[in-house]
Amino acid sequence: MNPSLSKNTWLREWSGPLTAELARTPGSFGLGQVPLRLAPDSLVSMVCGYCSTGCGLNVHLKDGRAVSLTPDPHHPVNLGMACPKGWEALTPLAAPDRLTTPLLRDRQTGRLEPVSWIRAMSEFVSRMRGIQERHGPHSLAYLSTGQITTEEMALLGSLFKFGMGGLHGDSNTRQCMATSHVAYKQSLGFDAPPFTYADFEESDVLIFVGSNPCIAHPIMWQRVLRNPHSPEIVVLDPRRTETAVNATLHLALKPKSDLTLLYGLAAALIQAGAVKAEFVNAHTTGFAEFAQFVAEFTPERVCLAAGLERPDFDRCVNLIAQGKRVSFWWTMGVNQGHESTRTAQAIINLALMTGNIGRPGTGANSITGQCNAMGSRLFANVTSLLGGRDTSNPDDRTHVARILGIPVERIPTEKSWAYDQILAGIDTGDIRGLWVIATNPAQSWIDQHRFLDRLKKLDFLVVQDLYSTTEMAQRADLILPAAGWGEKEGTFINSERRIGVLKNVSPAPGEALSDFSIFRLVAEAWGCGQLFREWRTPEAAFQILKRLSAGQPCDFTGIRDYRHLDEAGGIQWPYRAGQEDRLPASETRERRLFADGGFFHADGRARFHFEHPVPVAEPTTNEYPYVLLTGRGTSAQWHTNSRTGKSAILRALYPADLYLEIHPEDAGRLGLVGGGQVRVSSRRGTLLADVLITPTVSPGQVYLPMHYPEVNRLTCAQFDPYSRQPSYKHCAVALARP
Amino acid sequence: MPLSGSEVRTLVDELLHEQRELSAVAKFARASPSTGNRAPGQRHRDLIPLTAPRPGEQYGFEVDLDRCSGCKGCVTACHTLNGLDEAESWREVGVLLGEIQIPASPDPNAGNRVIPWQQTVTTACHHCVEPACLLGCPVLAYDKDPVTGIVRHLDDQCIGCSYCILKCPYEVPQFSAKRGIVRKCDMCQGRLAVGEAPACVQACPNEAIRITHVRSDWATIEWREKREATWLPDAPAPDYTVPTTRYLTKTQRPYLAAGDHYRNRPAHAHWPLILLLTLTQIGMGAMLAGWWRNGLPTTAWNLSRANLVGLAGFGLFLAGLGASVFHLGQPRKAWRVWLGWRTSWMSREAIALNLLLGVAGTTAAVSTVPLAWLGPLGRADATVPLLPFQVALCGLLTVAVAVGVVTQIMVYVDTRRSYWSWSQTGPRFLGTVLLGTALAGNWLEPSPVIAIGLGLILLLKLAQETRALKPAQSDESRRTQGRRSAELILGPLRPLWCFRLLAAAFGLAAVLFGPSAGLTPLIGGTLASVTLLTGELAERWLFFAAVSPDKMPGLP
Repeated sequence: MNPSLSKNTWLREWSGPLTAELARTPGSFGLGQVPLRLAPDSLVSMVCGYCSTGCGLNVHLKDGRAVSLTPDPHHPVNLGMACPKGWEALTPLAAPDRLTTPLLRDRQTGRLEPVSWIRAMSEFVSRMRGIQERHGPHSLAYLSTGQITTEEMALLGSLFKFGMGGLHGDSNTRQCMATSHVAYKQSLGFDAPPFTYADFEESDVLIFVGSNPCIAHPIMWQRVLRNPHSPEIVVLDPRRTETAVNATLHLALKPKSDLTLLYGLAAALIQAGAVKAEFVNAHTTGFAEFAQFVAEFTPERVCLAAGLERPDFDRCVNLIAQGKRVSFWWTMGVNQGHESTRTAQAIINLALMTGNIGRPGTGANSITGQCNAMGSRLFANVTSLLGGRDTSNPDDRTHVARILGIPVERIPTEKSWAYDQILAGIDTGDIRGLWVIATNPAQSWIDQHRFLDRLKKLDFLVVQDLYSTTEMAQRADLILPAAGWGEKEGTFINSERRIGVLKNVSPAPGEALSDFSIFRLVAEAWGCGQLFREWRTPEAAFQILKRLSAGQPCDFTGIRDYRHLDEAGGIQWPYRAGQEDRLPASETRERRLFADGGFFHADGRARFHFEHPVPVAEPTTNEYPYVLLTGRGTSAQWHTNSRTGKSAILRALYPADLYLEIHPEDAGRLGLVGGGQVRVSSRRGTLLADVLITPTVSPGQVYLPMHYPEVNRLTCAQFDPYSRQPSYKHCAVALARP
Repeated sequence: MPLSGSEVRTLVDELLHEQRELSAVAKFARASPSTGNRAPGQRHRDLIPLTAPRPGEQYGFEVDLDRCSGCKGCVTACHTLNGLDEAESWREVGVLLGEIQIPASPDPNAGNRVIPWQQTVTTACHHCVEPACLLGCPVLAYDKDPVTGIVRHLDDQCIGCSYCILKCPYEVPQFSAKRGIVRKCDMCQGRLAVGEAPACVQACPNEAIRITHVRSDWATIEWREKREATWLPDAPAPDYTVPTTRYLTKTQRPYLAAGDHYRNRPAHAHWPLILLLTLTQIGMGAMLAGWWRNGLPTTAWNLSRANLVGLAGFGLFLAGLGASVFHLGQPRKAWRVWLGWRTSWMSREAIALNLLLGVAGTTAAVSTVPLAWLGPLGRADATVPLLPFQVALCGLLTVAVAVGVVTQIMVYVDTRRSYWSWSQTGPRFLGTVLLGTALAGNWLEPSPVIAIGLGLILLLKLAQETRALKPAQSDESRRTQGRRSAELILGPLRPLWCFRLLAAAFGLAAVLFGPSAGLTPLIGGTLASVTLLTGELAERWLFFAAVSPDKMPGLP
């Protein structure tokens, strides 16, 4: 009996039905106490579906249904911890605006009406085919995501290009990781982030460039705080972010002076004699030219350009020069820039020239954004051919055709357009039909008004999503209801190349189908189902992916199946067949690349890439005197908030309305008061935001969190020429009292 | 090739069927409880004390601000691991923004420089040494464990009066509308009892939250100083309840303001309480005026104007009491309301108003029922002047009214909110009683003296209400409680404030100039009464809506 029950008197009820609602019980499975009414009868572990950290989450099941979840204490990534999004991963599945049937826009009323899958497929095929017949096979395009499984991405890319005869497809990883992809490929020979999370714990100097892991990747920051070497932490960021206040040195550089600063650091390191000549000579190409190139980036010039104090600059140089294990980490502050590929490569150059790669606690390390951006980079079949191959290489095409058992002539020889080029193609009438899968560019794409105008020019817009309410779905002609994370099987690849498995623990509402099933259905309806007979289930597709990876740097043929992944807590590539027996015990759970100094270019050498910095497209003027930065708001918000916005407890963790961070000096001059409102205008649009006065942004700069629908009305569509990633981190705005 | 209909149909059925099968569960689920019942991970046990607190000590949360990086996982973990409602968590986060001083260089003579700073803070129940919630609870629904010091809420004892919400400076108790009670953090005492860490402690990736022993003997000055050094800037002063949470940091933080420092929104109006206070107070005044003037009936029911005024006051008083029941989430448990009389002004108010109800009821009966029914006391005259026992009864009534109003005032003064201090609450509540008296007097025998008296009461009241607006003129950038209240009244609540002033002016005009304008006493009196009562209701609405207490740092 509950001991407090015996305390009950007629005057004082120590227990009873209301108290019982909060009763806890030992949860078994090593869970500790759990709420009595949610006590699980079984448990499955799966990888989280938000960011690229790839945390293991234990889903608690009761009578076969997911009732709760807790972070997996045995998972090598997160060690029993999760950020708020992970804790709340199940909640968005139960949202009332989940799609339960396909919806078709009625041509008379203009309203979206429920239809059957048969009708939806017939509409999809007849209208998409109609467009192809009128405007050619390449007049269709798709925009996909880093949020679906690798198996789904591979099936979509194969179906669209090999089955439907399309060419142009891209994914929202263009907004997030395209730069890292291109930078690694050019510098190291393959899109291969070299690190493992243990490197956070083993560095003595960590350099974060345009990265705010405290809130964007909190579980990675956990690993930094577990570092036993009292590391020096350097943060390069225009804002005094959560990570910057936790750093031992914060370089608050001017927006988009990063490339100049990184070249200046390289020049100063050469001056300081910090170059590891032996490593550079043995494993790289082009250092002499690079050294010559950066010589003009003197400390004086760089400090002036970046707005830094000389002692801070010198200290950063010394930390890198004297560090024994220096690791460099970058995220969206770098990737979402107008010269982002060269910026990322400037970081890679620093790691190469100082020999900080391939050893524990080192590396030029791109922290990925989305849960499966890495899967997309390898298998989306977007710009490269399946498995990181080259679509213009006949041998690669033949190889892929043989593995897939399809005629080689089905594989296009041309490269797909990038995201922005597809959108431009809508303007020119080259693209007439668009299929958007699990992404919400109507909110997230740069220069929103222009994007929305372009959508109106389409003949047919199909959106495949969990919710009917996203800005994108609301504009669709046809909506296909998708099952989400937790309602399907498949794999994700995280930032440290770890392949993790997700599982079907919750029934999808109504007739919602997994993206994998929808793609199979489309294949069948299109009449090319025969080509994809082997893609029967996600796990069957995984076996195809294994074969596609064979012989590539990302070879994971040693992974048996999903159960193997599940038991291991995810497995990092490469994991070649036979390798499992040869791995030293220390590397069974965590491994890094390039320990032997061998890179993936044919000659085994890494390349130094560099180029003169170029100005931003839209410098500030008298009329638009402030630099607008955008980025992550809080750890409780994800992308366009289409999922995180469904959880009431997450909503309590960030302001409900859009707010502008502004320095007290600027606010004072403009007469803006805390808690009041401000009108923010750029050449492209205008919005109202609440005023948040804070010195964590510098004078002359303002900051908007990206999760609110109106932010990208303001942003300026400039793209990195190599990765074609949009530059969200710089545009000129004017501020006024509303 | 167009659709091969039947094949697609078959596939749709097959895929929908597959989608409904939660096959992964069967394939992967760990069906057998493999690793016992302990909380995961050894590390959590380093974050809780190994022993029970010694005398003079209790458990307290300790937050290492230098380790808190702002992930907010503690909030969601509390929500999940305690099985709370959709939007419910017993931990909240806020942010402090501003500047701090750091040494300009390693050279100790170089002085300091100021750098921008932000700090996320996590707050839960502080399991105070002197818990305001517990001391204010009218039904003993709070218990402070004599050993651990954990302040626990007894959910089944709670009547849902929400007074603890007004009492707690940290917004800890939260009202659950669907249950009609409040709920709050119990420091996961059941977990601590078996050596498990509380949910928030378990879930912090950076081990920033732990449970430690803290001294609960607040008395020594030295300890008081130390406690304030481990408290947060821009948070309620800790000397009221003596919170036991300690916030540690190596940085200095003199210039930090809460992210919501500038946020200022009207508070909950609490309509049942507005009605309770206004109607009972007007009623008290009217009862006194009517029954002190009342003669006694002899052989027939007393329908004298004085008695009717007294009865009308009694009716208002009853209506106010009745309205208050709607403020309770668990009205059927309301009988417990006296239990906390030792410490709770809410209990005392309830007791005082119930005694007043008894006295007033008796007075009403005696004043109305024919004296002849009382046997030997009755006389043959038509009406008689006050009998000694009636004087005694009215005296008792007067005392009961005084005690009742004082307890009503103390209920709010005891929350230590500056807008509800004696200087605001006292004149308002007493003023309303006197206004009731004057209004009743105006009904009994309108005269210039009464009209002027009524005007004076009203003007004094308005003067005091207007004094609350003074802090709005401050030049300080920081917002004090008083300034926030003033800005609310002059900002979002301005229409209500204007209405309140207009109603008072109109009511006063009706009293002063009604007779000379040719209004009959009935019409003039009704007009004045209704208008002035409406004005008082608006005053009381402002009283609740414009209160803006200090709080723990919140989000922008």
